[in-house]
Amino acid sequence: MSSPSIPASTARAVRFRLTQRMRRSVLIIAALLLPAVALRLFTAVYPFLNTIWLSFHDWNPAFPPKQFVGFKNFQALTRDIAVTSSIDFTVLFVVLSTVLQIILGLVIALILNRVFPGRGLVRAINLIPWAIPMVVAAIGFRWMYDVQYGIINDLLHRLIGVRVPWLIDFWGARIAVIATNTWKSAPFVGLVLLAALQGVPQDLYEAGKVDGTNRISAFFYITLPLIMPQIVTIGLFMVVWQLAAFDLVFVMTGGGPGFATQVLAYRIYQVAFTALNFGYASAISMILFITVGIASVTGLLLFRKVEVSL
Amino acid sequence: MKFRALRWIDQFVFALFVSIFIFSIVFPFYWIMLSSFTPKYELFTVPPRYWFSTFTLENYQTLANSIPLTRYFVNSLFFAAGSSFISVAAAFLASYALARLQFRGANFVFIAFVMSIALPQVGGLVPLFEVFKATNLINTYHGLVILMSSLVLPFTVWILVPFLRQIPYEIEEAAIIDGARLPQLFWFIILPIMRPALATMAIINFIIAWNELVYPLVFATSGINKTLSVGLVELAVQPTAGGGRPWDLLSALSMVMILPILLLVLLFQRMIVSGLTRGAVK
Repeated sequence: MSSPSIPASTARAVRFRLTQRMRRSVLIIAALLLPAVALRLFTAVYPFLNTIWLSFHDWNPAFPPKQFVGFKNFQALTRDIAVTSSIDFTVLFVVLSTVLQIILGLVIALILNRVFPGRGLVRAINLIPWAIPMVVAAIGFRWMYDVQYGIINDLLHRLIGVRVPWLIDFWGARIAVIATNTWKSAPFVGLVLLAALQGVPQDLYEAGKVDGTNRISAFFYITLPLIMPQIVTIGLFMVVWQLAAFDLVFVMTGGGPGFATQVLAYRIYQVAFTALNFGYASAISMILFITVGIASVTGLLLFRKVEVSL
Repeated sequence: MKFRALRWIDQFVFALFVSIFIFSIVFPFYWIMLSSFTPKYELFTVPPRYWFSTFTLENYQTLANSIPLTRYFVNSLFFAAGSSFISVAAAFLASYALARLQFRGANFVFIAFVMSIALPQVGGLVPLFEVFKATNLINTYHGLVILMSSLVLPFTVWILVPFLRQIPYEIEEAAIIDGARLPQLFWFIILPIMRPALATMAIINFIIAWNELVYPLVFATSGINKTLSVGLVELAVQPTAGGGRPWDLLSALSMVMILPILLLVLLFQRMIVSGLTRGAVK
């Protein structure tokens, strides 16, 4: 889209002058970056650093002042069953949800990538779970999983004659929470993977056909390797994001029964804002930071490896 | 003959998949809607009713009488619109600097920015609460908007920077030769070109903020500033007489919360999809 009135040499000269001038005007750059950087520093970086600092303190806002206690909070962590069992379920919840979301997301992407009547409508429908608030999904599914009046037990009863005490049972509650989470985010993953599918050059499939691939082998030997970078990226994004989320568990089960569906993020919220134990909550947050850190660094390394450019 | 049979099976299996898919996505939504229009006493029946038996609006009426519904709705609207506007504006300015003004470390700032998405929101609540209390930001619109727009900023920058890089330099050069300075350049050249991308991100951020629970839950503790999501959660977790849940009110409030979002999704489906997936494909 070059403008024909400017000769290339002039354009180059202008570009040079432009960059020269801009390079000198640090003020302009700073002014442009300031709002965004200030927001992130204030609401993400500062709280992050401060939490590390707080984790070495005993601090209940109702009984000031803060007291430095060294590693006391961390020692307490190892003996706290509410925390250790929430680590258990957090890992299960995040890993299983992400794996299921990717598998179902792939299926959804493959469906939406085919040409069929009504595809536009189905694509719009696919956006619904992403657009619905997690709170609403949690409430809706809690109602559907209700032992007595829930629709899921009614369907199970009609089809195979059993009723499952979903949210009251240890594994029933875990399965229900993970299933709901998968329902909420698999379509979003599918959307991203659909975009990836559309980037696969069609002539590769033609070439594959010549070499005698059928639809299934084409998927495993052409499609899957080519969209692997996007699968890894969205997978890590989902891991990092789901590690920190607690609205689903909060509304659907409250972490119960017992600690069956307790996740770290919800435990942090409870310890901080129900028990008002700010120091200890910060110590639990450290576990979350370390886990997210490991996931992110792995992500960055893999990112380099699969050579996805932003 | 054999091929035709295979193709028929193929299409049948595919149609089956599509039907299962549509059913599992739409059904929970249908169920919430059905419950919201069903009188309370009919909600608790075994077996549950799969179709409208008695259509009623009384759940909505009861809801409006038991919580400050309009207040919450307006709060959600201000919160979402404010966060959407501030986040897109700040992201736009920063993205321009990052994509166009090649300064040393621009790429580092960009990556640091995007990576900051990984700092878990829940881990920063305690220090933020402390600061907000000290600066009287709790229970204020601007306090909530600051938090929310910051939360969606990294993603917005991630989408906008590549978009800006696609715009050919020559357009800006021509404007500069014609004597445009940075403000004019922004207003007359860049902004019009970026309008679709900015609108897309504004819609997406609006939806994300409208649905947000954690920040309003912690930082909007008085009735004056609570959002719909907080109102919904309070109804859902508060103990009621007899231990049951007020499904009549919950489903009605859920509908109130979903409908504006569904409208946006139906109207701007294409834009939303392109915005959400732009990051995935370069």
